[in-house]
Amino acid sequence: MIKLIKLEWKKNNINKYMIRALILAAALCLFLFGLTFFGMALDPDTGKLDAPPGYDIVSPFIEFLSNISYICFSGAMLATFIVSAYKNKTMTLMFSYPIKRQKILLAQMIAAWSFSFLALVLTKLFLYFSIQIGSRYMNSVFQLDYNLKSAEFYLHLLMNSAVMVSISFVALYIGLKMRSSKATIIASVILMFLTQGSIGDFSLVGNAVMYGALLAVSLLFVVLSLCRAETRDLM
Amino acid sequence: MSYILQTIHLTKTMDGRELVSDVSIHVRKGEIYGLLGPNGAGKTTLMKMITNLWKPSSGSIEIFGETLTPSSYEVLKRMGSMIEIPIFFEHMSGEENLKLHCEYMGYYKQDAVEEALAMLNLNTAAGKPVKSYSLGMKQRLGIARAILCRPELLILDEPANGLDPVGMKQIRDLFHTLSTKYDITIILSSHILSEIETIADTIGVISHGTLKEEISIKELSDITTAYIELSVAHTKKAAYLLSDKLNINNFKIMDEHNIRIYELGVSTHEIARILALNDEPVNSIFKKSETLEDHFLKITGEAER
Repeated sequence: MIKLIKLEWKKNNINKYMIRALILAAALCLFLFGLTFFGMALDPDTGKLDAPPGYDIVSPFIEFLSNISYICFSGAMLATFIVSAYKNKTMTLMFSYPIKRQKILLAQMIAAWSFSFLALVLTKLFLYFSIQIGSRYMNSVFQLDYNLKSAEFYLHLLMNSAVMVSISFVALYIGLKMRSSKATIIASVILMFLTQGSIGDFSLVGNAVMYGALLAVSLLFVVLSLCRAETRDLM
Repeated sequence: MSYILQTIHLTKTMDGRELVSDVSIHVRKGEIYGLLGPNGAGKTTLMKMITNLWKPSSGSIEIFGETLTPSSYEVLKRMGSMIEIPIFFEHMSGEENLKLHCEYMGYYKQDAVEEALAMLNLNTAAGKPVKSYSLGMKQRLGIARAILCRPELLILDEPANGLDPVGMKQIRDLFHTLSTKYDITIILSSHILSEIETIADTIGVISHGTLKEEISIKELSDITTAYIELSVAHTKKAAYLLSDKLNINNFKIMDEHNIRIYELGVSTHEIARILALNDEPVNSIFKKSETLEDHFLKITGEAER
């Protein structure tokens, strides 16, 4: 399976995704620095922080920006790895190999998921550490509400990243059903609004039950994407 | 007779339409089997089922003595194929595509990629991305990939597509070498009669999803040879006269009134005259000939269209 995952990375030119992930991390870092240290979050008239109550801390911004970016990023990656492979017929070639089709599909899913997960974790760590280091030399308009020495911080970061990236499997299933990469990406954007957006005071952000349910649904969609792969005709 | 591949009453239905209906083909080890049929006849559907990409609606496929099932992965290891247009990872070079193929097939023979590229005259283009290849080059790369792991059975769908006459000749020679020197069994499809005729040992003629005829090139040649059809009252006497008076020995008594003469050097006039002079009146006599194309059109029913 590891060999299959490596081959997926190779044939999908993973270096391209690495460069994109680096650019994304740099852009997010720059934006956060603008908000935190260069007055972008301040009201120009009063000079005070222009944020809703409870949002005077930095971690929700880091989480929100990195999560929305990576829900779309992993959705786009799954669309390229799997949905496009059906469209451009490279899946026909893959299914002519003496390897179980489910194993091929699973390797493609894991290849996209593991890269997105690792990239999201590293991006978040990069952002948290950058803000922490920046705050030593500049005044932050937000409170730094996280402790980089706490194990709980890392555990939460890993869990949250895993759930966020896994959500894109729902988008993958929709894309596979509609045989459309665009549908996968649009579904990712809808999921992004659903999980990260808010209506008035109502938001699902940080809702553990919601995240648990989404993870379960995502796994169910993985199973649905895999079932009947062996016997289905490849169009 | 044992076959390396045979399909048994194979049928494929899709969206209520029968794409392939009750097809039974028989392929012997080491032969080149040509599937001949017009576009849309069902050749690709049949090949997709043989390579396990599509599953039969009914009937079965036996390859290497085993019945093909959705989990017959070991069989795929012994096969090389190119179905429809050859598909590649376009951003990768030809050489990288072949190396990737070896990885997936679990085939690690040194210099295999270089040998396959050399066989198809692709050495100079090996390092270029496949997206820069012409249709003919892609076709040759597809064949290189199909033969790369030295399969026992090679399935090629319209392999001459996009090739120039020189390329076609080169491919034909390659297939002959693979078949004779390496004992590789080859099944190839085409809608071009001359292409199949020059290369195949056996032809399966498929039309409208059904197998119209399965015949060896030798038998086909016999069928389509021109002959004189002679109708007389007594074939025994006529046969004696043909042999004794006209020195004709290459003939066949078809039934009690008809004789088929395969020696065309003698005129029908002369035969009729000699038989009449010897009290064996001729009811009818005429020359019959059929080109391979006539035969193909006749059995596929295309001639009536």
